[in-house]
Amino acid sequence: MACIPVAKPAPPKASPSPETTGRTGKQWTLKPKLPDSHVVNTRIYTDPSIFEEELEKIWSRVWLPVCHESELPERLDFRTTGLAGNKPIVVVRGEDNRIRAFLNICPHRNNLIVRSPAGSLRKPEPSGNANHMTCMYHGWQFDTTGQCVEIPRPASYGERVCKEGVGLRQLRTEVAYGGMVWVNLDDDCGPLADFVGGALDPMLEQLETEPLEIFHYQKGIVRTNYKLFFDTSREFYHDYLHFHNRQTSMVKPGYFDQQYTTHPNGHSVTGFTTVDYSSHSDSGTRLLTFPGLPRNGWRHTTLFPASAYNIRTSCLRVNVMIPLSDRETLVEIRGLGLKRDTPGEREQRVKDYVSVWGPFGWNLHEDLLCAQVQTQAIKQGSGATWNLMAREEGNKVHDEVCVRSYYAEWARLMGRNPADPQ
Amino acid sequence: MTYVPPEILQPIHDLVHRSCLYMNDESWKDYLALCDPQSFRYRVTNYSPEIRREQCWADRDFKAMKAAFDIMPRHNSDRSKLTRQVSIYTVDYDAEACEANVVSALTVYRTQLDGSMSYIESGQTALYAVGLYRDRIKLTDDEARLLERTVQLDTRQLDVGTHKPF
Repeated sequence: MACIPVAKPAPPKASPSPETTGRTGKQWTLKPKLPDSHVVNTRIYTDPSIFEEELEKIWSRVWLPVCHESELPERLDFRTTGLAGNKPIVVVRGEDNRIRAFLNICPHRNNLIVRSPAGSLRKPEPSGNANHMTCMYHGWQFDTTGQCVEIPRPASYGERVCKEGVGLRQLRTEVAYGGMVWVNLDDDCGPLADFVGGALDPMLEQLETEPLEIFHYQKGIVRTNYKLFFDTSREFYHDYLHFHNRQTSMVKPGYFDQQYTTHPNGHSVTGFTTVDYSSHSDSGTRLLTFPGLPRNGWRHTTLFPASAYNIRTSCLRVNVMIPLSDRETLVEIRGLGLKRDTPGEREQRVKDYVSVWGPFGWNLHEDLLCAQVQTQAIKQGSGATWNLMAREEGNKVHDEVCVRSYYAEWARLMGRNPADPQ
Repeated sequence: MTYVPPEILQPIHDLVHRSCLYMNDESWKDYLALCDPQSFRYRVTNYSPEIRREQCWADRDFKAMKAAFDIMPRHNSDRSKLTRQVSIYTVDYDAEACEANVVSALTVYRTQLDGSMSYIESGQTALYAVGLYRDRIKLTDDEARLLERTVQLDTRQLDVGTHKPF
Protein backbone atom coordinates (compact mmCIF):
# COMPACT_ATOMS: atom_id res chain seq x y z
CA MET A 1 0.00 0.00 0.00
CA ALA A 2 1.29 3.46 -0.83
CA CYS A 3 2.55 5.61 1.96
CA ILE A 4 0.08 8.26 2.96
CA PRO A 5 0.91 11.92 2.72
CA VAL A 6 -0.04 12.68 6.29
CA ALA A 7 2.93 10.76 7.64
CA LYS A 8 5.59 12.53 5.62
CA PRO A 9 4.17 15.19 3.36
CA ALA A 10 5.69 15.94 0.01
CA PRO A 11 7.09 19.46 -0.09
CA PRO A 12 4.47 21.90 -1.30
CA LYS A 13 4.99 23.27 -4.74
CA ALA A 14 4.69 26.81 -3.51
CA SER A 15 5.41 27.15 0.15
CA PRO A 16 3.33 29.97 1.68
CA SER A 17 6.25 31.01 3.79
CA PRO A 18 9.84 29.96 4.11
CA GLU A 19 9.15 29.26 7.79
CA THR A 20 6.44 26.66 7.08
CA THR A 21 7.84 23.29 8.03
CA GLY A 22 4.60 21.48 8.86
CA ARG A 23 1.73 20.92 6.50
CA THR A 24 -0.25 23.72 4.96
CA GLY A 25 -3.95 24.10 5.61
CA LYS A 26 -4.72 22.48 2.29
CA GLN A 27 -2.45 19.53 2.98
CA TRP A 28 -3.88 19.14 6.45
CA THR A 29 -7.47 18.86 5.30
CA LEU A 30 -6.75 16.71 2.25
CA LYS A 31 -8.22 13.26 2.55
CA PRO A 32 -5.38 10.82 3.14
CA LYS A 33 -4.64 8.50 0.25
CA LEU A 34 -6.03 5.50 2.02
CA PRO A 35 -8.84 3.12 1.29
CA ASP A 36 -12.08 4.37 2.77
CA SER A 37 -11.96 1.46 5.20
CA HIS A 38 -8.77 2.85 6.73
CA VAL A 39 -9.86 6.40 7.54
CA VAL A 40 -12.78 7.99 9.33
CA ASN A 41 -14.05 11.51 8.87
CA THR A 42 -14.38 13.08 12.31
CA ARG A 43 -17.78 14.44 11.37
CA ILE A 44 -19.28 11.13 12.48
CA TYR A 45 -18.31 12.11 16.03
CA THR A 46 -19.54 15.67 15.96
CA ASP A 47 -22.59 15.97 13.75
CA PRO A 48 -25.80 15.99 15.84
CA SER A 49 -27.85 14.83 12.86
CA ILE A 50 -25.67 11.75 12.49
CA PHE A 51 -26.08 11.09 16.20
CA GLU A 52 -29.86 11.27 15.86
CA GLU A 53 -29.64 8.82 12.99
CA GLU A 54 -27.49 6.49 15.08
CA LEU A 55 -30.19 6.38 17.75
CA GLU A 56 -32.67 5.11 15.21
CA LYS A 57 -30.52 2.87 13.05
CA ILE A 58 -28.18 1.42 15.69
CA TRP A 59 -29.25 2.01 19.26
CA SER A 60 -32.89 1.08 18.74
CA ARG A 61 -31.92 -2.29 17.29
CA VAL A 62 -29.09 -3.78 19.33
CA TRP A 63 -28.92 -5.87 22.49
CA LEU A 64 -27.30 -4.13 25.44
CA PRO A 65 -26.37 -5.45 28.91
CA VAL A 66 -28.11 -3.02 31.25
CA CYS A 67 -27.47 -4.58 34.67
CA HIS A 68 -26.52 -7.82 36.38
CA GLU A 69 -29.01 -10.25 37.85
CA SER A 70 -27.32 -9.91 41.25
CA GLU A 71 -28.46 -6.28 41.33
CA LEU A 72 -31.99 -7.60 41.77
CA PRO A 73 -31.48 -10.84 43.68
CA GLU A 74 -34.95 -11.15 45.29
CA ARG A 75 -38.42 -11.35 43.84
CA LEU A 76 -39.88 -7.83 43.47
CA ASP A 77 -36.45 -6.22 43.34
CA PHE A 78 -36.00 -3.56 40.71
CA ARG A 79 -33.22 -1.60 39.06
CA THR A 80 -33.67 1.54 37.01
CA THR A 81 -31.35 2.60 34.24
CA GLY A 82 -31.61 3.97 30.74
CA LEU A 83 -30.93 3.51 27.09
CA ALA A 84 -29.72 5.81 24.38
CA GLY A 85 -32.19 8.41 23.26
CA ASN A 86 -33.22 9.45 26.77
CA LYS A 87 -35.14 6.26 27.41
CA PRO A 88 -35.51 5.50 31.11
CA ILE A 89 -36.10 1.83 31.82
CA VAL A 90 -36.95 -0.25 34.84
CA VAL A 91 -35.83 -3.85 35.24
CA VAL A 92 -37.94 -5.90 37.64
CA ARG A 93 -37.73 -9.40 39.02
CA GLY A 94 -41.29 -10.61 39.11
CA GLU A 95 -43.10 -12.68 41.68
CA ASP A 96 -42.57 -15.53 39.23
CA ASN A 97 -38.78 -14.88 39.51
CA ARG A 98 -38.61 -13.81 35.90
CA ILE A 99 -36.73 -10.64 35.03
CA ARG A 100 -38.53 -8.21 32.74
CA ALA A 101 -37.74 -4.71 31.53
CA PHE A 102 -40.08 -1.85 30.74
CA LEU A 103 -39.93 1.71 29.62
CA ASN A 104 -40.10 3.53 32.95
CA ILE A 105 -42.80 5.95 31.85
CA CYS A 106 -46.38 6.10 33.01
CA PRO A 107 -48.81 5.79 30.10
CA HIS A 108 -51.14 8.32 31.73
CA ARG A 109 -49.18 11.59 31.74
CA ASN A 110 -45.70 10.24 31.00
CA ASN A 111 -44.27 10.76 34.45
CA LEU A 112 -41.31 8.67 35.56
CA ILE A 113 -42.72 5.74 37.50
CA VAL A 114 -39.88 4.21 39.52
CA ARG A 115 -37.46 6.87 40.69
CA SER A 116 -34.88 5.10 42.86
CA PRO A 117 -31.78 3.57 41.26
CA ALA A 118 -32.66 0.23 42.86
CA GLY A 119 -34.82 -1.26 45.58
CA SER A 120 -37.65 -3.60 46.39
CA LEU A 121 -41.28 -3.17 45.48
CA ARG A 122 -42.15 -4.89 48.75
CA LYS A 123 -41.82 -1.46 50.31
CA PRO A 124 -44.79 0.58 49.15
CA GLU A 125 -44.39 4.09 47.79
CA PRO A 126 -46.13 6.80 49.86
CA SER A 127 -49.12 6.80 47.51
CA GLY A 128 -49.11 3.21 46.32
CA ASN A 129 -49.40 -0.39 47.37
CA ALA A 130 -46.62 -2.84 48.05
CA ASN A 131 -45.61 -5.16 45.19
CA HIS A 132 -46.58 -2.60 42.57
CA MET A 133 -44.76 0.08 40.61
CA THR A 134 -46.66 3.24 41.43
CA CYS A 135 -46.60 6.50 39.55
CA MET A 136 -46.62 9.10 42.30
CA TYR A 137 -48.38 11.69 40.16
CA HIS A 138 -51.89 10.20 40.01
CA GLY A 139 -51.38 6.85 41.69
CA TRP A 140 -51.60 4.57 38.68
CA GLN A 141 -50.09 1.24 39.61
CA PHE A 142 -48.49 -1.56 37.61
CA ASP A 143 -47.52 -5.09 38.53
CA THR A 144 -44.23 -6.76 37.70
CA THR A 145 -45.58 -8.07 34.42
CA GLY A 146 -46.31 -4.54 33.27
CA GLN A 147 -50.07 -4.77 33.63
CA CYS A 148 -51.89 -1.73 34.95
CA VAL A 149 -53.59 -2.92 38.12
CA GLU A 150 -54.87 0.29 39.66
CA ILE A 151 -56.36 3.50 38.32
CA PRO A 152 -57.78 5.69 41.07
CA ARG A 153 -61.46 6.53 40.50
CA PRO A 154 -61.62 4.79 37.14
CA ALA A 155 -65.34 5.37 36.63
CA SER A 156 -64.79 8.84 35.20
CA TYR A 157 -62.93 7.32 32.29
CA GLY A 158 -66.01 5.37 31.33
CA GLU A 159 -65.06 3.06 28.51
CA ARG A 160 -62.56 5.52 27.08
CA VAL A 161 -59.65 4.27 29.20
CA CYS A 162 -59.41 0.90 30.90
CA LYS A 163 -56.60 -0.87 32.76
CA GLU A 164 -56.28 -3.51 30.09
CA GLY A 165 -55.28 -0.92 27.50
CA VAL A 166 -52.70 1.02 29.46
CA GLY A 167 -49.99 -1.46 30.38
CA LEU A 168 -46.31 -0.59 30.33
CA ARG A 169 -44.17 -0.70 27.22
CA GLN A 170 -42.23 -3.96 27.64
CA LEU A 171 -38.77 -4.48 26.18
CA ARG A 172 -37.27 -7.66 24.85
CA THR A 173 -35.20 -9.04 27.73
CA GLU A 174 -32.85 -11.96 28.22
CA VAL A 175 -30.53 -12.94 31.06
CA ALA A 176 -27.35 -14.51 29.74
CA TYR A 177 -23.57 -14.50 29.44
CA GLY A 178 -22.66 -14.41 33.10
CA GLY A 179 -26.04 -13.29 34.36
CA MET A 180 -26.16 -9.94 32.61
CA VAL A 181 -29.62 -8.60 31.87
CA TRP A 182 -29.82 -7.70 28.20
CA VAL A 183 -32.53 -5.60 26.61
CA ASN A 184 -33.42 -4.61 23.09
CA LEU A 185 -35.77 -1.83 22.05
CA ASP A 186 -36.66 -3.62 18.85
CA ASP A 187 -39.77 -5.76 19.34
CA ASP A 188 -38.88 -7.72 16.23
CA CYS A 189 -35.22 -8.35 17.01
CA GLY A 190 -33.72 -11.81 16.82
CA PRO A 191 -32.58 -13.71 19.92
CA LEU A 192 -29.61 -12.41 21.89
CA ALA A 193 -27.57 -15.48 20.95
CA ASP A 194 -27.90 -14.58 17.28
CA PHE A 195 -26.68 -11.07 18.00
CA VAL A 196 -23.67 -12.14 20.08
CA GLY A 197 -22.83 -15.05 17.81
CA GLY A 198 -19.58 -16.67 18.92
CA ALA A 199 -17.99 -13.53 20.31
CA LEU A 200 -18.31 -14.60 23.93
CA ASP A 201 -17.61 -18.29 23.34
CA PRO A 202 -13.94 -18.04 24.41
CA MET A 203 -14.98 -16.95 27.92
CA LEU A 204 -18.15 -19.02 28.33
CA GLU A 205 -16.49 -21.31 30.86
CA GLN A 206 -15.61 -18.30 32.99
CA LEU A 207 -19.08 -16.81 32.63
CA GLU A 208 -21.33 -19.82 32.92
CA THR A 209 -19.71 -22.36 35.25
CA GLU A 210 -21.12 -20.77 38.38
CA PRO A 211 -23.11 -17.68 39.38
CA LEU A 212 -21.37 -14.34 39.39
CA GLU A 213 -22.01 -11.36 41.63
CA ILE A 214 -21.44 -7.65 41.26
CA PHE A 215 -19.06 -5.97 43.71
CA HIS A 216 -18.24 -2.73 41.96
CA TYR A 217 -20.32 -0.17 40.14
CA GLN A 218 -19.11 3.05 38.63
CA LYS A 219 -20.75 5.49 36.33
CA GLY A 220 -19.77 8.81 34.93
CA ILE A 221 -20.82 11.28 32.32
CA VAL A 222 -17.81 11.65 30.09
CA ARG A 223 -17.59 14.45 27.60
CA THR A 224 -16.94 12.21 24.67
CA ASN A 225 -18.68 10.69 21.72
CA TYR A 226 -19.41 7.06 22.57
CA LYS A 227 -17.45 5.78 19.60
CA LEU A 228 -14.28 7.49 20.74
CA PHE A 229 -14.38 5.92 24.18
CA PHE A 230 -15.25 2.59 22.64
CA ASP A 231 -12.13 2.82 20.50
CA THR A 232 -10.13 2.57 23.75
CA SER A 233 -11.93 -0.67 24.58
CA ARG A 234 -11.50 -1.97 21.11
CA GLU A 235 -7.89 -1.40 20.10
CA PHE A 236 -4.60 -2.12 21.83
CA TYR A 237 -2.18 -0.01 19.88
CA HIS A 238 -3.05 2.48 22.59
CA ASP A 239 -1.36 0.26 25.20
CA TYR A 240 1.38 2.85 24.89
CA LEU A 241 -0.98 5.14 26.83
CA HIS A 242 -0.85 2.84 29.85
CA PHE A 243 2.31 2.52 31.91
CA HIS A 244 0.60 -0.44 33.57
CA ASN A 245 0.17 -2.27 30.29
CA ARG A 246 3.64 -1.44 29.09
CA GLN A 247 5.03 -2.94 32.28
CA THR A 248 2.79 -5.96 32.63
CA SER A 249 1.92 -6.94 29.08
CA MET A 250 3.87 -5.35 26.28
CA VAL A 251 7.23 -6.53 27.59
CA LYS A 252 6.07 -10.14 27.70
CA PRO A 253 7.10 -12.50 24.91
CA GLY A 254 4.18 -13.20 22.64
CA TYR A 255 2.36 -9.94 23.33
CA PHE A 256 2.58 -8.81 19.71
CA ASP A 257 1.43 -12.23 18.48
CA GLN A 258 -2.00 -12.07 20.06
CA GLN A 259 -4.55 -12.67 17.38
CA TYR A 260 -7.43 -10.29 16.98
CA THR A 261 -10.62 -11.89 15.65
CA THR A 262 -13.50 -9.98 14.19
CA HIS A 263 -16.97 -11.44 14.45
CA PRO A 264 -20.25 -10.84 12.67
CA ASN A 265 -22.39 -7.91 13.87
CA GLY A 266 -19.29 -5.85 14.63
CA HIS A 267 -18.04 -7.77 17.66
CA SER A 268 -14.41 -8.65 18.33
CA VAL A 269 -12.27 -10.98 20.43
CA THR A 270 -8.68 -10.44 21.48
CA GLY A 271 -6.59 -13.58 21.76
CA PHE A 272 -5.92 -15.10 25.16
CA THR A 273 -2.80 -13.93 26.94
CA THR A 274 -1.32 -13.78 30.40
CA VAL A 275 -0.29 -10.66 32.26
CA ASP A 276 2.66 -10.23 34.60
CA TYR A 277 1.14 -8.09 37.33
CA SER A 278 4.21 -8.30 39.51
CA SER A 279 6.01 -6.08 37.00
CA HIS A 280 3.89 -3.14 38.13
CA SER A 281 4.84 -2.18 41.66
CA ASP A 282 1.30 -1.22 42.68
CA SER A 283 -0.45 -4.28 41.29
CA GLY A 284 0.88 -7.10 43.43
CA THR A 285 0.37 -10.70 42.45
CA ARG A 286 -2.91 -12.15 41.32
CA LEU A 287 -3.83 -15.19 43.41
CA LEU A 288 -7.42 -15.75 42.31
CA THR A 289 -8.91 -16.55 38.97
CA PHE A 290 -12.16 -17.52 37.25
CA PRO A 291 -13.30 -21.07 36.41
CA GLY A 292 -11.12 -22.50 33.68
CA LEU A 293 -8.94 -19.42 33.42
CA PRO A 294 -5.23 -19.88 34.04
CA ARG A 295 -3.75 -17.64 36.70
CA ASN A 296 -2.93 -14.20 35.29
CA GLY A 297 -5.05 -15.05 32.25
CA TRP A 298 -6.77 -12.31 30.31
CA ARG A 299 -9.71 -12.53 27.95
CA HIS A 300 -11.46 -9.70 26.19
CA THR A 301 -14.51 -9.33 23.97
CA THR A 302 -16.16 -6.19 22.69
CA LEU A 303 -19.72 -6.13 21.47
CA PHE A 304 -20.95 -3.59 18.97
CA PRO A 305 -21.87 -0.82 19.56
CA ALA A 306 -20.80 -0.13 23.12
CA SER A 307 -20.30 -2.97 25.57
CA ALA A 308 -17.31 -5.05 26.53
CA TYR A 309 -16.41 -8.04 28.68
CA ASN A 310 -12.92 -7.98 30.11
CA ILE A 311 -11.57 -10.65 32.46
CA ARG A 312 -8.29 -9.86 34.13
CA THR A 313 -7.59 -13.14 35.93
CA SER A 314 -9.57 -12.48 39.15
CA CYS A 315 -12.12 -9.88 38.04
CA LEU A 316 -14.65 -9.50 35.30
CA ARG A 317 -15.39 -6.01 34.08
CA VAL A 318 -18.47 -5.38 31.97
CA ASN A 319 -18.97 -1.92 30.61
CA VAL A 320 -21.75 -0.39 28.62
CA MET A 321 -22.35 3.11 27.36
CA ILE A 322 -25.46 5.19 27.14
CA PRO A 323 -24.93 8.02 24.66
CA LEU A 324 -26.58 11.21 25.89
CA SER A 325 -25.66 13.34 22.91
CA ASP A 326 -23.03 13.43 20.19
CA ARG A 327 -20.59 14.77 22.78
CA GLU A 328 -21.71 13.25 26.09
CA THR A 329 -21.75 9.62 27.12
CA LEU A 330 -22.85 7.95 30.31
CA VAL A 331 -20.37 5.17 30.97
CA GLU A 332 -21.42 2.37 33.32
CA ILE A 333 -18.81 -0.08 34.50
CA ARG A 334 -19.38 -3.16 36.62
CA GLY A 335 -16.94 -5.36 38.46
CA LEU A 336 -17.93 -8.95 39.14
CA GLY A 337 -16.57 -11.92 41.03
CA LEU A 338 -17.86 -15.34 41.96
CA LYS A 339 -20.99 -15.41 44.06
CA ARG A 340 -19.46 -18.07 46.32
CA ASP A 341 -16.43 -15.93 47.19
CA THR A 342 -15.43 -15.96 50.83
CA PRO A 343 -15.07 -12.49 52.37
CA GLY A 344 -11.31 -12.80 52.03
CA GLU A 345 -11.51 -13.80 48.39
CA ARG A 346 -13.89 -10.97 47.65
CA GLU A 347 -11.61 -8.46 49.32
CA GLN A 348 -8.73 -9.71 47.20
CA ARG A 349 -10.77 -9.48 43.99
CA VAL A 350 -11.75 -5.93 44.87
CA LYS A 351 -8.12 -5.00 45.49
CA ASP A 352 -7.11 -6.51 42.17
CA TYR A 353 -9.94 -4.73 40.38
CA VAL A 354 -9.37 -1.25 41.78
CA SER A 355 -5.66 -1.30 41.06
CA VAL A 356 -6.43 -1.21 37.34
CA TRP A 357 -10.02 -0.04 37.04
CA GLY A 358 -12.49 2.07 38.98
CA PRO A 359 -12.24 5.87 39.35
CA PHE A 360 -8.83 5.58 41.05
CA GLY A 361 -7.45 2.71 38.94
CA TRP A 362 -4.36 3.21 36.83
CA ASN A 363 -5.85 2.28 33.44
CA LEU A 364 -9.44 3.42 33.36
CA HIS A 365 -8.59 7.00 34.25
CA GLU A 366 -6.16 7.10 31.35
CA ASP A 367 -8.71 5.71 28.89
CA LEU A 368 -11.44 8.12 29.96
CA LEU A 369 -9.06 11.06 30.08
CA CYS A 370 -7.82 10.28 26.61
CA ALA A 371 -11.30 9.97 25.12
CA GLN A 372 -12.38 13.22 26.75
CA VAL A 373 -9.37 15.19 25.60
CA GLN A 374 -9.62 13.70 22.12
CA THR A 375 -13.26 14.75 21.94
CA GLN A 376 -12.29 18.32 22.82
CA ALA A 377 -9.75 18.28 20.02
CA ILE A 378 -12.22 16.84 17.52
CA LYS A 379 -14.95 19.41 18.18
CA GLN A 380 -16.57 20.79 15.09
CA GLY A 381 -14.44 23.48 13.55
CA SER A 382 -11.29 22.52 15.41
CA GLY A 383 -9.54 21.48 12.25
CA ALA A 384 -9.48 17.80 13.14
CA THR A 385 -10.79 15.95 10.11
CA TRP A 386 -9.37 12.46 9.75
CA ASN A 387 -8.90 9.54 12.13
CA LEU A 388 -6.41 7.09 10.67
CA MET A 389 -6.93 3.37 11.10
CA ALA A 390 -4.34 2.11 8.70
CA ARG A 391 -2.14 -0.28 10.70
CA GLU A 392 -2.02 -3.75 9.18
CA GLU A 393 -0.25 -6.51 11.12
CA GLY A 394 -1.99 -9.68 10.03
CA ASN A 395 -4.80 -9.21 12.55
CA LYS A 396 -2.37 -9.17 15.45
CA VAL A 397 -2.99 -7.14 18.56
CA HIS A 398 -1.85 -3.78 17.18
CA ASP A 399 -3.56 -4.20 13.83
CA GLU A 400 -6.17 -1.47 13.52
CA VAL A 401 -8.54 -3.98 12.02
CA CYS A 402 -10.10 -3.79 15.46
CA VAL A 403 -11.44 -0.32 14.75
CA ARG A 404 -11.85 -0.81 11.00
CA SER A 405 -14.22 -3.70 11.65
CA TYR A 406 -16.19 -1.56 14.10
CA TYR A 407 -16.69 1.19 11.57
CA ALA A 408 -17.53 -1.36 8.89
CA GLU A 409 -20.48 -2.47 11.00
CA TRP A 410 -21.36 1.15 11.67
CA ALA A 411 -21.38 1.76 7.93
CA ARG A 412 -23.56 -1.28 7.30
CA LEU A 413 -26.21 -0.21 9.77
CA MET A 414 -26.08 3.49 9.00
CA GLY A 415 -25.86 3.19 5.24
CA ARG A 416 -23.10 5.79 5.37
CA ASN A 417 -19.42 5.70 4.58
CA PRO A 418 -17.45 6.75 7.71
CA ALA A 419 -14.76 8.17 5.45
CA ASP A 420 -17.28 10.28 3.59
CA PRO A 421 -20.46 10.43 5.65
CA GLN A 422 -22.27 13.03 3.53
CA MET B 1 -18.79 11.26 74.49
CA THR B 2 -15.80 11.93 76.70
CA TYR B 3 -13.83 15.10 77.17
CA VAL B 4 -10.66 15.21 75.12
CA PRO B 5 -8.12 17.64 76.51
CA PRO B 6 -6.50 20.25 74.27
CA GLU B 7 -3.05 18.65 74.48
CA ILE B 8 -4.56 15.56 72.82
CA LEU B 9 -6.78 17.45 70.40
CA GLN B 10 -4.09 19.75 69.11
CA PRO B 11 -1.80 17.13 67.54
CA ILE B 12 -4.82 15.33 66.10
CA HIS B 13 -6.13 18.48 64.46
CA ASP B 14 -2.64 19.27 63.28
CA LEU B 15 -2.23 15.82 61.71
CA VAL B 16 -5.54 15.88 59.86
CA HIS B 17 -4.95 19.34 58.48
CA ARG B 18 -1.34 18.69 57.55
CA SER B 19 -2.36 15.54 55.70
CA CYS B 20 -4.55 17.71 53.48
CA LEU B 21 -1.94 20.37 52.99
CA TYR B 22 0.65 17.81 51.94
CA MET B 23 -1.74 16.10 49.58
CA ASN B 24 -2.81 19.42 48.11
CA ASP B 25 0.84 20.21 47.47
CA GLU B 26 1.42 16.66 46.20
CA SER B 27 4.13 16.36 48.80
CA TRP B 28 3.60 12.64 48.95
CA LYS B 29 6.73 11.98 50.97
CA ASP B 30 5.57 14.39 53.67
CA TYR B 31 2.14 12.80 53.62
CA LEU B 32 3.61 9.34 54.10
CA ALA B 33 5.65 10.67 57.00
CA LEU B 34 2.35 11.21 58.80
CA CYS B 35 1.38 7.56 58.33
CA ASP B 36 2.43 4.56 60.37
CA PRO B 37 4.55 2.36 58.07
CA GLN B 38 3.53 -0.85 59.81
CA SER B 39 -0.22 -0.54 59.97
CA PHE B 40 -1.35 2.27 57.69
CA ARG B 41 -4.27 1.38 55.47
CA TYR B 42 -5.89 3.77 53.05
CA ARG B 43 -9.28 3.03 51.55
CA VAL B 44 -11.87 4.87 49.49
CA THR B 45 -15.38 3.55 50.00
CA ASN B 46 -18.94 4.50 49.30
CA TYR B 47 -22.40 3.07 49.47
CA SER B 48 -23.86 2.52 46.04
CA PRO B 49 -27.66 2.75 45.97
CA GLU B 50 -27.43 1.35 42.45
CA ILE B 51 -26.12 -2.02 43.59
CA ARG B 52 -27.27 -1.57 47.18
CA ARG B 53 -23.97 -2.40 48.79
CA GLU B 54 -20.85 -0.86 50.20
CA GLN B 55 -18.07 -0.79 47.69
CA CYS B 56 -14.39 -0.06 47.74
CA TRP B 57 -12.66 2.10 45.14
CA ALA B 58 -9.13 2.04 46.55
CA ASP B 59 -7.38 -0.13 49.10
CA ARG B 60 -3.67 0.27 49.82
CA ASP B 61 -1.29 -0.29 52.70
CA PHE B 62 1.73 1.91 53.36
CA LYS B 63 3.95 0.05 50.94
CA ALA B 64 1.38 0.18 48.16
CA MET B 65 0.75 3.87 48.80
CA LYS B 66 4.45 4.57 48.47
CA ALA B 67 4.63 2.50 45.31
CA ALA B 68 1.66 4.38 43.88
CA PHE B 69 3.22 7.75 44.63
CA ASP B 70 6.53 6.64 43.14
CA ILE B 71 5.05 5.53 39.84
CA MET B 72 2.37 8.18 39.51
CA PRO B 73 4.53 10.45 37.31
CA ARG B 74 4.94 7.61 34.84
CA HIS B 75 1.20 7.49 34.22
CA ASN B 76 -0.88 9.80 32.08
CA SER B 77 -3.02 11.61 34.59
CA ASP B 78 -5.33 14.55 34.76
CA ARG B 79 -2.85 16.84 36.46
CA SER B 80 -5.47 19.30 37.64
CA LYS B 81 -4.88 20.39 41.21
CA LEU B 82 -7.09 18.89 43.91
CA THR B 83 -7.74 20.94 47.01
CA ARG B 84 -8.95 19.13 50.11
CA GLN B 85 -10.91 21.06 52.70
CA VAL B 86 -11.66 19.37 56.03
CA SER B 87 -13.74 20.23 59.01
CA ILE B 88 -13.25 17.98 61.99
CA TYR B 89 -16.57 16.79 63.34
CA THR B 90 -15.68 14.44 66.20
CA VAL B 91 -12.68 13.10 68.07
CA ASP B 92 -13.16 10.01 70.23
CA TYR B 93 -10.07 9.24 72.25
CA ASP B 94 -9.16 5.93 73.87
CA ALA B 95 -6.62 6.92 76.53
CA GLU B 96 -5.67 3.34 77.26
CA ALA B 97 -4.76 2.56 73.66
CA CYS B 98 -3.59 6.12 72.95
CA GLU B 99 -5.71 6.03 69.81
CA ALA B 100 -8.30 8.41 68.47
CA ASN B 101 -11.09 7.88 66.00
CA VAL B 102 -11.62 11.10 64.10
CA VAL B 103 -14.44 11.92 61.73
CA SER B 104 -14.04 14.92 59.45
CA ALA B 105 -16.11 16.40 56.66
CA LEU B 106 -14.18 16.36 53.41
CA THR B 107 -14.67 18.57 50.39
CA VAL B 108 -12.48 18.25 47.33
CA TYR B 109 -12.26 20.95 44.71
CA ARG B 110 -10.62 20.55 41.33
CA THR B 111 -8.86 23.37 39.57
CA GLN B 112 -8.53 22.47 35.93
CA LEU B 113 -5.15 22.20 34.32
CA ASP B 114 -4.96 19.65 31.52
CA GLY B 115 -7.85 17.23 31.96
CA SER B 116 -9.76 18.83 29.14
CA MET B 117 -9.02 21.60 26.66
CA SER B 118 -6.54 23.53 28.76
CA TYR B 119 -6.56 26.74 26.74
CA ILE B 120 -10.24 27.10 27.60
CA GLU B 121 -10.69 25.44 30.97
CA SER B 122 -7.41 25.66 32.87
CA GLY B 123 -7.88 27.72 35.98
CA GLN B 124 -11.54 26.86 36.47
CA THR B 125 -12.37 25.51 39.91
CA ALA B 126 -15.35 23.31 40.66
CA LEU B 127 -16.52 21.09 43.47
CA TYR B 128 -15.25 17.59 42.75
CA ALA B 129 -16.25 15.37 45.65
CA VAL B 130 -17.69 15.37 49.14
CA GLY B 131 -17.55 12.79 51.89
CA LEU B 132 -15.91 11.99 55.19
CA TYR B 133 -12.48 11.15 56.44
CA ARG B 134 -12.68 8.39 59.01
CA ASP B 135 -9.25 8.34 60.59
CA ARG B 136 -7.69 6.19 63.24
CA ILE B 137 -4.78 8.01 64.79
CA LYS B 138 -2.11 6.83 67.20
CA LEU B 139 -0.64 9.28 69.65
CA THR B 140 2.71 8.86 71.33
CA ASP B 141 4.56 11.31 73.54
CA ASP B 142 5.99 13.24 70.67
CA GLU B 143 3.90 12.57 67.61
CA ALA B 144 0.60 11.57 66.04
CA ARG B 145 0.45 9.03 63.21
CA LEU B 146 -2.27 7.89 60.88
CA LEU B 147 -3.03 4.20 61.32
CA GLU B 148 -6.00 4.14 58.99
CA ARG B 149 -7.75 6.55 56.71
CA THR B 150 -11.04 5.66 55.07
CA VAL B 151 -12.35 8.21 52.63
CA GLN B 152 -16.06 7.59 52.71
CA LEU B 153 -17.45 9.31 49.65
CA ASP B 154 -20.93 10.61 49.06
CA THR B 155 -19.93 11.57 45.54
CA ARG B 156 -20.13 8.62 43.20
CA GLN B 157 -19.48 10.28 39.89
CA LEU B 158 -15.90 11.42 39.56
CA ASP B 159 -15.87 12.45 35.93
CA VAL B 160 -12.93 10.65 34.31
CA GLY B 161 -11.52 9.64 37.69
CA THR B 162 -8.12 10.46 39.10
CA HIS B 163 -4.84 8.87 40.05
CA LYS B 164 -4.50 11.13 43.06
CA PRO B 165 -5.84 9.95 46.39
CA PHE B 166 -8.12 12.26 48.34
